[in-house]
Amino acid sequence: MLAKTPLFDSINVGDSITPLVKGPMTTAHIMRWSSAIENWHRIHYDRTYAQEHDKLPDVMVNGSWKQHVLIQLVSDWAGEDGWVVEIDFQFRGMDVPGNTLTAFGTVTETRDCGAYGLVMLEIGLKNETGQNGTPGTASVLLPKAGGPPVPYPFDPAILAGAES
Amino acid sequence: MTDLDVNYITDDVKALIGMESDFCEMPHPVEASEVRRFHHAVMDDSPRYSDAGASRYGGPVAPLGFPVHMYRRRPGEPDPLDGMDRPDRDGLDRKLRPGLPPIDVPLTRLLNGGYRYTFYRYAEIGDRIFVKSRYRDIYQRSGRSGVMVLFDIEDTYVNQDRELLLETKNTIILR
Repeated sequence: MLAKTPLFDSINVGDSITPLVKGPMTTAHIMRWSSAIENWHRIHYDRTYAQEHDKLPDVMVNGSWKQHVLIQLVSDWAGEDGWVVEIDFQFRGMDVPGNTLTAFGTVTETRDCGAYGLVMLEIGLKNETGQNGTPGTASVLLPKAGGPPVPYPFDPAILAGAES
Repeated sequence: MTDLDVNYITDDVKALIGMESDFCEMPHPVEASEVRRFHHAVMDDSPRYSDAGASRYGGPVAPLGFPVHMYRRRPGEPDPLDGMDRPDRDGLDRKLRPGLPPIDVPLTRLLNGGYRYTFYRYAEIGDRIFVKSRYRDIYQRSGRSGVMVLFDIEDTYVNQDRELLLETKNTIILR
Protein backbone atom coordinates (compact mmCIF):
# COMPACT_ATOMS: atom_id res chain seq x y z
CA MET A 1 0.00 0.00 0.00
CA LEU A 2 1.19 3.49 -0.75
CA ALA A 3 1.10 5.79 2.24
CA LYS A 4 -1.84 8.11 2.59
CA THR A 5 -0.82 11.64 1.73
CA PRO A 6 -1.03 14.12 4.62
CA LEU A 7 -3.13 17.19 3.97
CA PHE A 8 -1.42 20.56 3.97
CA ASP A 9 -4.06 21.96 6.35
CA SER A 10 -2.97 19.53 9.06
CA ILE A 11 0.77 20.34 8.93
CA ASN A 12 2.42 22.53 11.55
CA VAL A 13 5.96 23.80 11.93
CA GLY A 14 7.79 21.46 14.29
CA ASP A 15 5.88 18.35 13.19
CA SER A 16 7.97 15.23 12.66
CA ILE A 17 7.42 13.05 9.61
CA THR A 18 7.37 9.26 9.81
CA PRO A 19 10.99 8.11 10.25
CA LEU A 20 12.67 5.21 8.42
CA VAL A 21 15.05 2.85 10.22
CA LYS A 22 17.68 0.87 8.28
CA GLY A 23 20.04 -1.63 9.77
CA PRO A 24 22.09 -2.62 11.59
CA MET A 25 24.04 -2.17 8.36
CA THR A 26 26.44 -4.96 7.41
CA THR A 27 29.03 -5.54 4.72
CA ALA A 28 26.34 -7.59 2.93
CA HIS A 29 24.07 -4.54 2.66
CA ILE A 30 26.97 -2.51 1.29
CA MET A 31 27.86 -5.26 -1.18
CA ARG A 32 24.26 -5.52 -2.38
CA TRP A 33 24.07 -1.78 -3.06
CA SER A 34 27.48 -1.54 -4.74
CA SER A 35 26.56 -4.44 -6.98
CA ALA A 36 23.12 -3.04 -7.83
CA ILE A 37 24.61 0.18 -9.17
CA GLU A 38 27.94 -1.34 -10.32
CA ASN A 39 30.06 0.90 -8.13
CA TRP A 40 33.45 -0.72 -7.59
CA HIS A 41 34.95 1.88 -5.27
CA ARG A 42 37.28 -0.13 -3.08
CA ILE A 43 36.45 1.73 0.15
CA HIS A 44 33.15 -0.19 0.18
CA TYR A 45 34.56 -3.75 0.26
CA ASP A 46 38.30 -3.76 1.05
CA ARG A 47 38.84 -2.95 4.71
CA THR A 48 42.63 -2.89 4.43
CA TYR A 49 42.43 -0.42 1.55
CA ALA A 50 39.84 1.73 3.34
CA GLN A 51 41.95 1.96 6.47
CA GLU A 52 45.46 2.12 5.07
CA HIS A 53 45.00 4.02 1.81
CA ASP A 54 42.05 6.30 2.59
CA LYS A 55 42.63 6.48 6.39
CA LEU A 56 39.00 5.55 7.08
CA PRO A 57 37.81 3.71 10.20
CA ASP A 58 36.29 0.81 8.20
CA VAL A 59 34.59 0.10 4.89
CA MET A 60 32.00 2.80 4.26
CA VAL A 61 28.24 2.70 3.91
CA ASN A 62 27.79 4.26 0.46
CA GLY A 63 26.76 7.90 0.31
CA SER A 64 24.96 6.98 -2.91
CA TRP A 65 22.83 4.55 -0.87
CA LYS A 66 22.13 7.06 1.89
CA GLN A 67 20.78 9.60 -0.58
CA HIS A 68 18.12 7.18 -1.80
CA VAL A 69 17.09 6.41 1.77
CA LEU A 70 16.47 10.14 2.23
CA ILE A 71 14.53 10.27 -1.03
CA GLN A 72 12.48 7.27 0.17
CA LEU A 73 11.83 9.00 3.50
CA VAL A 74 10.34 12.04 1.82
CA SER A 75 8.55 10.28 -1.05
CA ASP A 76 6.95 7.80 1.38
CA TRP A 77 5.66 10.74 3.42
CA ALA A 78 4.44 12.64 0.33
CA GLY A 79 2.45 9.53 -0.60
CA GLU A 80 0.41 9.02 -3.72
CA ASP A 81 -1.16 12.49 -3.91
CA GLY A 82 1.82 14.67 -2.95
CA TRP A 83 5.12 15.35 -4.70
CA VAL A 84 8.73 15.70 -3.59
CA VAL A 85 9.84 18.90 -5.31
CA GLU A 86 13.38 19.17 -4.10
CA ILE A 87 15.81 17.46 -1.75
CA ASP A 88 19.38 18.36 -0.93
CA PHE A 89 21.94 17.01 1.52
CA GLN A 90 25.62 16.93 2.25
CA PHE A 91 27.69 13.85 3.07
CA ARG A 92 29.50 15.07 6.19
CA GLY A 93 29.71 12.02 8.40
CA MET A 94 30.87 8.49 7.77
CA ASP A 95 28.78 5.43 8.54
CA VAL A 96 30.20 1.95 8.87
CA PRO A 97 28.99 -1.66 9.31
CA GLY A 98 27.22 -2.01 12.64
CA ASN A 99 25.52 1.37 12.43
CA THR A 100 21.73 1.51 12.50
CA LEU A 101 20.59 4.55 10.54
CA THR A 102 17.40 6.51 11.09
CA ALA A 103 16.17 8.88 8.41
CA PHE A 104 14.16 11.69 9.95
CA GLY A 105 12.46 14.93 8.99
CA THR A 106 10.97 17.94 10.76
CA VAL A 107 8.72 20.64 9.30
CA THR A 108 10.46 24.03 9.31
CA GLU A 109 8.08 26.16 7.22
CA THR A 110 4.81 26.00 5.32
CA ARG A 111 3.89 28.05 2.24
CA ASP A 112 0.49 28.43 0.61
CA CYS A 113 0.49 27.76 -3.14
CA GLY A 114 -3.16 28.29 -4.05
CA ALA A 115 -4.79 24.90 -4.46
CA TYR A 116 -1.79 23.20 -2.79
CA GLY A 117 0.70 23.82 -0.01
CA LEU A 118 4.47 23.56 0.09
CA VAL A 119 6.10 22.08 3.21
CA MET A 120 9.78 22.71 3.93
CA LEU A 121 11.59 20.04 5.91
CA GLU A 122 14.88 19.66 7.66
CA ILE A 123 16.03 16.09 7.05
CA GLY A 124 18.92 13.88 8.01
CA LEU A 125 20.24 10.40 8.62
CA LYS A 126 21.51 9.76 12.12
CA ASN A 127 23.20 6.75 13.62
CA GLU A 128 22.57 5.22 17.04
CA THR A 129 24.82 7.80 18.71
CA GLY A 130 22.60 10.58 17.36
CA GLN A 131 25.23 11.85 14.94
CA ASN A 132 23.58 13.21 11.78
CA GLY A 133 26.09 12.51 9.03
CA THR A 134 23.83 13.53 6.15
CA PRO A 135 22.09 16.83 6.97
CA GLY A 136 19.78 18.35 4.39
CA THR A 137 16.49 19.93 3.48
CA ALA A 138 13.51 18.99 1.34
CA SER A 139 10.35 20.58 0.00
CA VAL A 140 7.15 18.64 -0.55
CA LEU A 141 3.97 19.79 -2.27
CA LEU A 142 0.78 18.53 -0.60
CA PRO A 143 -2.91 18.73 -1.43
CA LYS A 144 -5.40 20.60 0.75
CA ALA A 145 -8.49 19.19 2.44
CA GLY A 146 -11.16 18.64 -0.18
CA GLY A 147 -8.77 19.68 -2.95
CA PRO A 148 -7.25 17.80 -5.89
CA PRO A 149 -4.06 15.72 -5.70
CA VAL A 150 -0.86 17.48 -6.76
CA PRO A 151 -0.78 17.25 -10.58
CA TYR A 152 1.55 14.67 -12.12
CA PRO A 153 4.03 15.26 -13.68
CA PHE A 154 5.13 18.11 -11.44
CA ASP A 155 4.64 21.58 -12.89
CA PRO A 156 6.97 24.15 -11.29
CA ALA A 157 4.53 26.94 -12.23
CA ILE A 158 2.50 25.79 -9.21
CA LEU A 159 5.16 27.29 -6.95
CA ALA A 160 4.89 30.79 -8.44
CA GLY A 161 3.50 33.13 -5.81
CA ALA A 162 4.00 30.71 -2.91
CA GLU A 163 3.37 32.58 0.36
CA SER A 164 4.77 31.80 3.80
CA MET B 1 56.83 22.94 -0.82
CA THR B 2 53.77 21.56 0.99
CA ASP B 3 50.68 20.39 -0.81
CA LEU B 4 49.02 23.64 0.35
CA ASP B 5 51.20 25.43 -2.21
CA VAL B 6 50.10 23.30 -5.13
CA ASN B 7 47.69 24.90 -7.56
CA TYR B 8 45.57 22.09 -9.00
CA ILE B 9 43.41 24.49 -10.98
CA THR B 10 45.66 24.51 -14.01
CA ASP B 11 44.72 26.06 -17.33
CA ASP B 12 43.63 22.61 -18.53
CA VAL B 13 41.33 22.26 -15.52
CA LYS B 14 40.04 25.83 -15.91
CA ALA B 15 39.15 25.03 -19.51
CA LEU B 16 36.62 22.48 -18.23
CA ILE B 17 34.61 25.05 -16.24
CA GLY B 18 31.32 25.72 -17.97
CA MET B 19 31.80 22.82 -20.38
CA GLU B 20 28.47 21.16 -21.17
CA SER B 21 27.80 17.85 -22.86
CA ASP B 22 25.13 16.99 -25.37
CA PHE B 23 22.38 14.65 -24.22
CA CYS B 24 23.96 11.19 -23.89
CA GLU B 25 21.79 8.09 -23.92
CA MET B 26 22.25 5.55 -21.16
CA PRO B 27 23.55 2.22 -22.52
CA HIS B 28 20.21 0.48 -22.10
CA PRO B 29 16.61 1.37 -21.20
CA VAL B 30 15.21 1.18 -17.66
CA GLU B 31 15.07 -2.55 -16.90
CA ALA B 32 12.70 -4.19 -14.40
CA SER B 33 15.50 -6.34 -12.99
CA GLU B 34 17.81 -3.38 -12.37
CA VAL B 35 14.96 -1.45 -10.74
CA ARG B 36 14.22 -4.45 -8.52
CA ARG B 37 17.82 -4.84 -7.41
CA PHE B 38 18.00 -1.10 -6.77
CA HIS B 39 14.92 -0.87 -4.56
CA HIS B 40 15.78 -4.13 -2.81
CA ALA B 41 19.21 -2.69 -1.95
CA VAL B 42 17.65 0.55 -0.66
CA MET B 43 15.16 -1.62 1.28
CA ASP B 44 12.33 0.39 -0.27
CA ASP B 45 9.43 -1.95 -1.00
CA SER B 46 6.94 0.55 -2.37
CA PRO B 47 4.52 -1.24 -4.73
CA ARG B 48 4.91 1.55 -7.28
CA TYR B 49 8.13 -0.15 -8.47
CA SER B 50 6.53 -3.49 -9.28
CA ASP B 51 2.79 -3.06 -9.69
CA ALA B 52 1.51 -1.02 -12.61
CA GLY B 53 -1.79 -0.50 -10.81
CA ALA B 54 -0.30 0.69 -7.55
CA SER B 55 0.20 4.34 -8.43
CA ARG B 56 -1.12 7.10 -10.62
CA TYR B 57 2.31 7.61 -12.19
CA GLY B 58 1.94 5.05 -14.96
CA GLY B 59 4.28 2.26 -14.45
CA PRO B 60 5.70 0.34 -12.86
CA VAL B 61 8.14 3.17 -12.22
CA ALA B 62 11.74 3.35 -11.04
CA PRO B 63 12.68 5.08 -7.77
CA LEU B 64 12.91 8.86 -8.23
CA GLY B 65 16.71 8.95 -8.14
CA PHE B 66 17.28 5.78 -10.20
CA PRO B 67 18.41 7.50 -13.45
CA VAL B 68 21.45 8.93 -11.67
CA HIS B 69 22.96 5.43 -11.47
CA MET B 70 22.03 4.17 -14.93
CA TYR B 71 25.32 4.64 -16.72
CA ARG B 72 27.02 1.34 -17.54
CA ARG B 73 30.28 0.54 -19.27
CA ARG B 74 29.87 0.40 -23.04
CA PRO B 75 31.57 -2.18 -25.27
CA GLY B 76 35.22 -1.26 -25.68
CA GLU B 77 35.44 0.86 -22.55
CA PRO B 78 38.12 -0.26 -20.06
CA ASP B 79 37.16 -2.70 -17.33
CA PRO B 80 37.19 -0.77 -14.02
CA LEU B 81 38.50 -3.89 -12.31
CA ASP B 82 41.63 -3.95 -14.48
CA GLY B 83 44.57 -3.35 -12.21
CA MET B 84 42.74 -4.18 -9.00
CA ASP B 85 45.66 -6.41 -8.06
CA ARG B 86 47.56 -3.18 -7.43
CA PRO B 87 47.15 -2.21 -3.78
CA ASP B 88 46.57 1.49 -4.58
CA ARG B 89 43.93 1.03 -7.31
CA ASP B 90 40.62 2.49 -6.07
CA GLY B 91 38.23 0.86 -8.56
CA LEU B 92 37.01 4.16 -9.99
CA ASP B 93 37.80 5.99 -13.16
CA ARG B 94 37.99 9.76 -13.33
CA LYS B 95 35.29 10.11 -15.93
CA LEU B 96 32.62 11.60 -13.70
CA ARG B 97 29.92 11.85 -16.35
CA PRO B 98 29.41 10.03 -19.66
CA GLY B 99 29.40 13.21 -21.75
CA LEU B 100 32.13 15.18 -20.01
CA PRO B 101 35.90 14.80 -20.35
CA PRO B 102 37.60 12.99 -17.47
CA ILE B 103 39.31 15.06 -14.82
CA ASP B 104 43.07 15.15 -14.65
CA VAL B 105 43.93 16.20 -11.10
CA PRO B 106 46.68 14.21 -9.34
CA LEU B 107 44.76 13.61 -6.10
CA THR B 108 43.83 10.08 -5.18
CA ARG B 109 40.91 10.12 -2.74
CA LEU B 110 37.51 10.70 -4.28
CA LEU B 111 34.47 11.63 -2.18
CA ASN B 112 30.89 12.54 -2.92
CA GLY B 113 30.14 15.87 -1.22
CA GLY B 114 26.39 15.97 -1.68
CA TYR B 115 23.47 16.41 -4.02
CA ARG B 116 20.52 18.65 -4.74
CA TYR B 117 17.71 16.98 -6.67
CA THR B 118 14.66 18.57 -8.30
CA PHE B 119 12.09 16.00 -9.37
CA TYR B 120 9.51 16.31 -12.16
CA ARG B 121 8.54 12.81 -13.28
CA TYR B 122 9.32 9.14 -12.61
CA ALA B 123 11.27 7.07 -15.12
CA GLU B 124 9.16 4.10 -16.22
CA ILE B 125 10.27 0.56 -17.03
CA GLY B 126 11.33 0.57 -20.68
CA ASP B 127 12.09 4.31 -20.84
CA ARG B 128 15.24 5.38 -22.66
CA ILE B 129 17.10 7.86 -20.48
CA PHE B 130 19.37 10.69 -21.60
CA VAL B 131 21.59 12.93 -19.49
CA LYS B 132 23.18 16.29 -20.23
CA SER B 133 25.93 17.40 -17.83
CA ARG B 134 27.91 20.55 -17.16
CA TYR B 135 30.95 21.39 -15.05
CA ARG B 136 29.40 24.36 -13.25
CA ASP B 137 32.55 25.15 -11.29
CA ILE B 138 35.89 23.62 -10.29
CA TYR B 139 37.79 25.13 -7.38
CA GLN B 140 40.35 24.39 -4.73
CA ARG B 141 40.08 24.69 -0.95
CA SER B 142 42.36 24.02 1.97
CA GLY B 143 40.91 21.95 4.77
CA ARG B 144 42.17 20.28 7.93
CA SER B 145 43.34 17.30 5.93
CA GLY B 146 45.07 19.35 3.23
CA VAL B 147 44.05 20.58 -0.17
CA MET B 148 40.89 19.46 -1.88
CA VAL B 149 39.53 20.15 -5.34
CA LEU B 150 35.75 20.41 -5.69
CA PHE B 151 33.80 19.76 -8.86
CA ASP B 152 30.27 21.19 -9.02
CA ILE B 153 28.36 19.32 -11.71
CA GLU B 154 24.83 19.94 -13.01
CA ASP B 155 22.85 17.19 -14.73
CA THR B 156 19.54 17.15 -16.56
CA TYR B 157 17.80 13.81 -17.15
CA VAL B 158 15.07 13.34 -19.75
CA ASN B 159 13.26 10.39 -21.33
CA GLN B 160 12.90 9.41 -25.00
CA ASP B 161 10.23 12.07 -25.47
CA ARG B 162 12.55 14.73 -23.98
CA GLU B 163 10.23 14.95 -20.97
CA LEU B 164 12.10 16.30 -17.98
CA LEU B 165 12.60 13.69 -15.22
CA LEU B 166 14.97 15.34 -12.77
CA GLU B 167 17.76 17.86 -12.40
CA THR B 168 20.71 17.41 -10.06
CA LYS B 169 23.55 19.46 -8.66
CA ASN B 170 26.36 17.31 -7.32
CA THR B 171 29.68 18.12 -5.68
CA ILE B 172 32.55 15.65 -6.15
CA ILE B 173 35.64 16.12 -3.99
CA LEU B 174 39.18 14.95 -4.72
CA ARG B 175 41.75 15.17 -1.95
